Amino acid sequence: MSEPTTDRTEAEASEASAEAEFLRVSGLHAGYGQARVLQGLDFTVARGEVCAILGPNGAGKTTTLRALSGMVRGRGSVTLNGSELLGRSPEQAARLGVAHVPEGRGTFNDLTVEENLRIGAHLRTGLGRRSRGERAAVAADLERIYDHFPKLRQRSRQAAGSLSGGEQQMLAIGRALMLRPSLLLLDEPSLGLAPLVTRELFEIVRAVNEEERTTVVVVEQNAQLALDIAHRAHVLEAGRLVLSGPAAQIREDGQVAEVYLGVSVHTRKAG
Amino acid sequence: MNTITTALGTDRARRPRAALTVLLTAAVAVGAPFYLAPFQVFQLTMVLLYAVALAGLNLLVGFGGQISLGHGAFFAAGAYTTAVMLDRYDTGHLATLPVAAAGCFLLGLGFGVPALRLRGLYLALVTLSFAVFLPPLLKRLEPVTGGSMGLTVDKLQPPAWSGLAEDQWMYFVVLAVTAVALLLARNLLRSRVGRALLAVRDNESAAEVMGVRLSLHKTLAFAWSAMFAGVAGCLYTWVIGFVSPDSFSFVLSITLLAGLVVGGLGSLYGPLLGAAFVMYVPSVSQDLSEAAPGVVFGLLIITVMFVAPTGLAGLPGRVLGAVARRLPRTTTTRAPIPEAAPAPDAEPESRAESGPPVTLTPADPAVVDAEPVGAPPRTEKE
Amino acid sequence: MTDLLQQVVEGLGSGAVYASLALALVLIYRFTGIVNFAQGELAMLSTYVAWQLVASGMPFWLALPVTLAVSFAGGMLVERIVIRPVQGAPELTVVIVTVGLFIFVNALAGLIWSFTVKDFPQPFPDGGLDLAGVRVDWSALGIIGVVAVVMGLLYLLFQHTSTGLVMRAVAGNPASARLSGIRVGRVLMLGWGLAATVGAVSGVLVAPVLFLEPNMMGGVLIYAFAAATLGGFDSPVGAVVGGLFVGVAETLTGAYVGVIGADLKVGVPLVIILAVLLVRPQGLFGRAAVERA
Repeated sequence: MSEPTTDRTEAEASEASAEAEFLRVSGLHAGYGQARVLQGLDFTVARGEVCAILGPNGAGKTTTLRALSGMVRGRGSVTLNGSELLGRSPEQAARLGVAHVPEGRGTFNDLTVEENLRIGAHLRTGLGRRSRGERAAVAADLERIYDHFPKLRQRSRQAAGSLSGGEQQMLAIGRALMLRPSLLLLDEPSLGLAPLVTRELFEIVRAVNEEERTTVVVVEQNAQLALDIAHRAHVLEAGRLVLSGPAAQIREDGQVAEVYLGVSVHTRKAG
Repeated sequence: MNTITTALGTDRARRPRAALTVLLTAAVAVGAPFYLAPFQVFQLTMVLLYAVALAGLNLLVGFGGQISLGHGAFFAAGAYTTAVMLDRYDTGHLATLPVAAAGCFLLGLGFGVPALRLRGLYLALVTLSFAVFLPPLLKRLEPVTGGSMGLTVDKLQPPAWSGLAEDQWMYFVVLAVTAVALLLARNLLRSRVGRALLAVRDNESAAEVMGVRLSLHKTLAFAWSAMFAGVAGCLYTWVIGFVSPDSFSFVLSITLLAGLVVGGLGSLYGPLLGAAFVMYVPSVSQDLSEAAPGVVFGLLIITVMFVAPTGLAGLPGRVLGAVARRLPRTTTTRAPIPEAAPAPDAEPESRAESGPPVTLTPADPAVVDAEPVGAPPRTEKE
Repeated sequence: MTDLLQQVVEGLGSGAVYASLALALVLIYRFTGIVNFAQGELAMLSTYVAWQLVASGMPFWLALPVTLAVSFAGGMLVERIVIRPVQGAPELTVVIVTVGLFIFVNALAGLIWSFTVKDFPQPFPDGGLDLAGVRVDWSALGIIGVVAVVMGLLYLLFQHTSTGLVMRAVAGNPASARLSGIRVGRVLMLGWGLAATVGAVSGVLVAPVLFLEPNMMGGVLIYAFAAATLGGFDSPVGAVVGGLFVGVAETLTGAYVGVIGADLKVGVPLVIILAVLLVRPQGLFGRAAVERA
């Protein structure tokens, strides 16, 4: 008599843990050639969570993202919703729903803004998948991206190379979103951008996360900005995880921030 | 990149073994013409003189890092200078060598200056175009060069006191010149010029900052390499006794470069191996059909590039290196772990990241995992 | 004056051939970043395929599309088997591989079809138009027309199809293309197949004039290099403009510069390449490289 209840509880429990460990990284070692950068990372990201990866230069933050998206090989295990990511090529990772916005934005500078976005939806409209419904969905998504980033709508026919840094970053994020990713990886989105622009960007990322429940992992030098929108944060140093916890906690712990991030979090500007 | 320094280091460290090798090689080299048939001796002679040309090209490409697809032109210049001197001015053979050498050195200097402004592929294109242009030019300059018919001159004849046959005498003369040339090449590399070239090849900006005069050394590289090719051309005329424009088509130039790279760029023995490759592969397959040599030659070139991009001379080094890496490491923080399959070791297909090609590059740096071991020196770094 | 125009027209005709081979070179360069020294030989091989089909009884108008299809497949194969293994290798390695390919293909053609010269069917009718005293051969018009059609088709492909868009993305930023799920390897194969097809067109166009033999494309290659250098190695438009210019320059120089004459015309591409590289290395339409001194 009590078995069905137990089953259901078990099912709920396992589903809950699957949600909590939507992205699971265990014992991740990765590097370039003979240079070992990551020395065994372990962390998890829950579905729908925004997770910030912080740390000083050279800590391995970018390498972590690259290992997740298949740009760099590694040892260990990285599972996304149960499927093993490690060892897959970037193309395969994209097929599993991973969208990586690389450092430096990676826009297609010769293509127009709209063409850039359409490439983002490549997997959904590739040869053979040209169903009416899917094309309409892509068109709708395009509109939604333009809603998030009105400047892109203005410049939709311009070559991406002629956009400002901030606009290119928006375009790169927009392109990633066109994939309808289950995991969005952002590598140093604030790099080279003015504070106002980056604040705008991060607000949009937060909005996307809240509306679509997209899981986000953002790597940032600018710890403050990242912690503002993150739920959890992990701090890397020399390829190892040295601190993990809720973003609020890490943000408030000024001493930690100064030691590991070289940042005085106390002097936050208002607004 | 380490091939040459390893080779040099090895020399110094293992003197007695090196001396023994040298002695053995010398014995074989000196004894060979007495045991081989004249045609085989002739082939060996050709290998030696091509090795001189390749040693020069090695200076330019392997150490200077500049691609030349037109070195056949310098070879031809040396060959024709010698032929003209023998034919029209009736100088002895001996006099032609320094003239060819000096003339080609100056020619190389002349080329080196505009070459400064051309990098990588651009230089390759210009040198190739020149190599294509040369035969028609030679034909046009008929009063001097004898036009399409070419020039026939006396081959090098053995003096009576030597008691040697023609092929043997030529072999020994060429052997002597080749030995001197290879020694000269080696010394150049160890000299300031050579070290400067290596510095420039590996990191141009750093070298410049450290005071290496780029223009001077790059131009010198051209000059020296042209001189070597010219000397080889001179020897060619001595041995063959006939020059014509069609003997020096652009095919010669690309064959020289391919031979050098296959033999081993940036290594001391590469030119010898490469010359042997150039000489023997086509002639062996010639028995099959007229065209077969090219088929085999081309296939081998491609295969060698896949399997041993540092050339055949670099193969032992690479094999040893790969073996060394597979041994367990001992680190203090971890137990020794043999490298697992997904670890970023060099695999046959993955290569080092190339230096950026000349202009905008769509080259793909997406998967950053290959090791730069075994990569030939980068041709030009931005 | 009519004589000058006559020479110009002839130059445009040969220029169109150079343009088509240059187009193939540029396509390869844009997709894989390498200069394929074997492009001419591959075109020559395609031309032999066409010749063989016709010699075996196939009508010319059928042999042509079959040849193009075979060339496309051949190009894809070359990318996969010969080029892919050295993708990312230092420049010199790749140059040598294409040089090896040059030697191999050249000798292969000689092996299969021997080195004797063969006649190749002329697709265009004899004779021509008379425009104000200038004779314009049908063959010249035909060649120019074909190249124009090829350009048009390429334009349509790249600008108005999703395949073309994907190809442009890969050509521009292969790493980002991968991240969007594009199978870059397959696209590169497509690019090489396309280039081989365009090269085949140039071979078929020039064979009736130069007569078919394994060394047929060697000379054309140098002119195509000059065209691509002049136009800019990453610009298809540049390849065509460059080709036409080189053709006209060659013909005019051969006709009017007495000291050069017909036999030294092959010095023209050398001069053009030198001039372009010393004055404006990126060519007329190419993009300037960032000079990181």
